[in-house]
Amino acid sequence: MTAPVLEFRNVSFSYGPRLLLDRMSLGIETREMVALVGPNGVGKTTMLKLISGLLPPASGEILLQGKPLAAWSRRHLPRTVALVPQELEIPFNFRVEEIVAQGRVPHQTLFGGATPADHREVESAMEAVDIVGLRHRPYSELSGGERQRVKIAIGLAQQPKLMLLDEPTQHLDVGRQIELIALLRRLNQRGITIIAAVHDLNLVAENFASIIMLMPTPGWIAGSAAEVLRPELLQRAFSVSQSALGRYCVSPDSEGLTQVR
Amino acid sequence: MEAELKAPVKPKATVERTLQPAVSPRTALAATGGQSKLDNRISTRTLNLVLLVALALAIVAATGLGAVRLSISEVLRAFLHPSRAGDAGEIIFQLRLPRVLAAALVGAALSATGVLFQGLFRNPLADPFVLGTSGGAALGGAVGIFLIPSLSFAGFGATAVLAFCGSVLTMILVWYLARAGGRFAMETLLLAGFVIGTMLNAGTVVFEMREEASNSGLRVLAAWLHGQLSIPTWSQLALIAPLVGIAIVLGLPLAGRLNTLALGEEYAAQLGVSVARVRVATVILGSLLTAAAVSLGGLIGFVGLLVPHFLRILIGPNHVRLLLPAALGGATFLILADTFARTAFAPTEIPVGVFTAFLGGPAFLYLLNHRSRESRQ
Repeated sequence: MTAPVLEFRNVSFSYGPRLLLDRMSLGIETREMVALVGPNGVGKTTMLKLISGLLPPASGEILLQGKPLAAWSRRHLPRTVALVPQELEIPFNFRVEEIVAQGRVPHQTLFGGATPADHREVESAMEAVDIVGLRHRPYSELSGGERQRVKIAIGLAQQPKLMLLDEPTQHLDVGRQIELIALLRRLNQRGITIIAAVHDLNLVAENFASIIMLMPTPGWIAGSAAEVLRPELLQRAFSVSQSALGRYCVSPDSEGLTQVR
Repeated sequence: MEAELKAPVKPKATVERTLQPAVSPRTALAATGGQSKLDNRISTRTLNLVLLVALALAIVAATGLGAVRLSISEVLRAFLHPSRAGDAGEIIFQLRLPRVLAAALVGAALSATGVLFQGLFRNPLADPFVLGTSGGAALGGAVGIFLIPSLSFAGFGATAVLAFCGSVLTMILVWYLARAGGRFAMETLLLAGFVIGTMLNAGTVVFEMREEASNSGLRVLAAWLHGQLSIPTWSQLALIAPLVGIAIVLGLPLAGRLNTLALGEEYAAQLGVSVARVRVATVILGSLLTAAAVSLGGLIGFVGLLVPHFLRILIGPNHVRLLLPAALGGATFLILADTFARTAFAPTEIPVGVFTAFLGGPAFLYLLNHRSRESRQ
C-alpha cells in the first residue's frame, strides 16, 4: 500500500475570525475521483487553494505524495498539482494555444524557452480536451464550455498527478456538463487523481465515487454518495428542510459513514 | 485588435502571401509541426527586420532634415568619413545626430516600459506617463538639478539616480493606491496615476519657479515639463544607450513571466511564478527605462501606449515577442515624431511631447472606451 496522494493532518484554516476548516484529517488515494460539495462560502475554493499551496494552513499539515507541502519547491509543486480555476480573466487577446502553453511554465527555466517536449505536451493537452481546432481563437471569443476545456488543457500541460477543479460545470448547459464530466472520467482513467468542487448534487451522485462534504459548523463528511448525500446531513450542510431536499438524497439506509464530525 | 479577433480562419491574403505560399491553414499546420506560422500574425523575425531597416532609414533621413537640409548621400558620407565632413559634419555630429539618437533611445525606452507595465498591471492603458512615473522621474531629476547638483553616484549624476528613485517611488505609491482585493480596477489605476502625476508635475513647476535656479537648470526643467527633447552630449548618450539596451534585454525573460501573469496573479503563482519577484523586477526595469527617457526628453506621453497597441494588432499580445519590436518601433516612431515637431513649423519648434499627446490622447480614449464597453458586456 503506497501513501495516499494527498493527506490532510489536522488542518485548520480561517479567514480572519471565521474558521473554515477545523482540524481536518483525510486521505485521498491515487486515481480517486472526488467531488467536493457544500454550501456557498463553506471553504471549497479555500481547500483547493490550500492543496495547491496558494494558502498556507493555519495549523496542521498537508502531505502530497507523502511529503509536506511546505517542503515542495515552488516550481515542482505545479508539476504534480494543477489547479483549474473557476474564472480566467485574460486582459489581452491571447490565443488558445498561447494560453495552454502557460501550463509548461513550471517545466521551464527563466532563460530557456519552450523545448520540443513542451510543444508536444501542449499539443497532447489540446488533443486530450479536443480544442486543437480552437488553437488560434482568442480566449475571449470562446463559449463557456470551450473555456472550461482550455483551462483543463493548461492543467494537463502541467502533467500533474492531481488535478483540482473549482466549479468546472458552472455556467454550462446540461450537454456541456455531461461532456465535461466524461472528460474528467477519461483523465481519471489515465491516472490523474481528480478533486472537483461541484454544486450539482445529482451530477455528483451519478459520477463521483467519493465525496467530501464540507459543513458550515465547520466540519466535514467523506465517503460514497450513499454515505454522504443523506437527508439529515444535507439538511445540516445546506440548512434547508428535509422535504425540499428529497430528490437529492441517495439512499437513506446505507451502512454508515466513514468519517463524521 | 478587431482584425485579429475576426480572422483566425482565413488569413489576410496580402500579408500572408508575401511570407509564405498560399497553403490552406490545415496543411500548413501539418507542415510546420503545429507551430503557429500560418496565422494572420506576422512573424516576429520579419517584423524585427522591417523595423530595424525602418529605424536605420529614419535615423539617416531625420539627420538630414532641419534648417540646413542635407541630402541622404551627404549624411551617409559624413557617417562614413566623419573627419572629412566639414560644416555638414559639424551640424550632423554636434546637433542633429545626438538629438535623433536621443529620440530613438527615449522612444525605445518608453515603448518597452509600456509593454512591461501593461503586462504587470494587466492593462493595455498602462504607460509611464499615464501612471505618473514619468512625472516622478522628472521631479526626482529636478530635485537633483537644484538641491544637490554636485552629488555624483558611481559615475551617474544625482539627477539620473534621483529620477530613477522618483519613478520607483511613484510606482509604489500608485500601486498601493490602485490595488484593491488583489487586483487593479482600471478606473482606480488611471485616477491614481493621473492625480499623482499631476501633483508631481506641480512639484516640478515649483522648482521651475525658484528664482535662484541657474539658467541652464531652468531650461532643462522647462523642456522636461513640455516634453521637449534636448540635444544630449555624446557622453550622456554613451551612458544612457547601454542602460536602455541592457534593461530591454533583461526584460525579455521577464516578459515570459508577464505572459503567465496575464492569466491572473494567483493563477501565475499556482504555475510556480514568483509574482512578487516579477513585480519588483518589472518596477525596477521600467523605472530605469523611464528615468533614462525622462532625463533626455522629460514628459513625453503615450508613446508606451501607442506603439505596443499597434504592434499587438500585428503580432499578438505575447510580451516576449512584443518587447523588441516595441523598442525598435518606439525608436522609429519618436524619431519621426520629433523630426516632424522640429521641422513642420520651422523656425518654431513644438515639443515632441505635445505632438505625441495629440496622437496618443485619442488612442487612449479609444482604448478606454473599448475596454469599458467590453467589461460592461
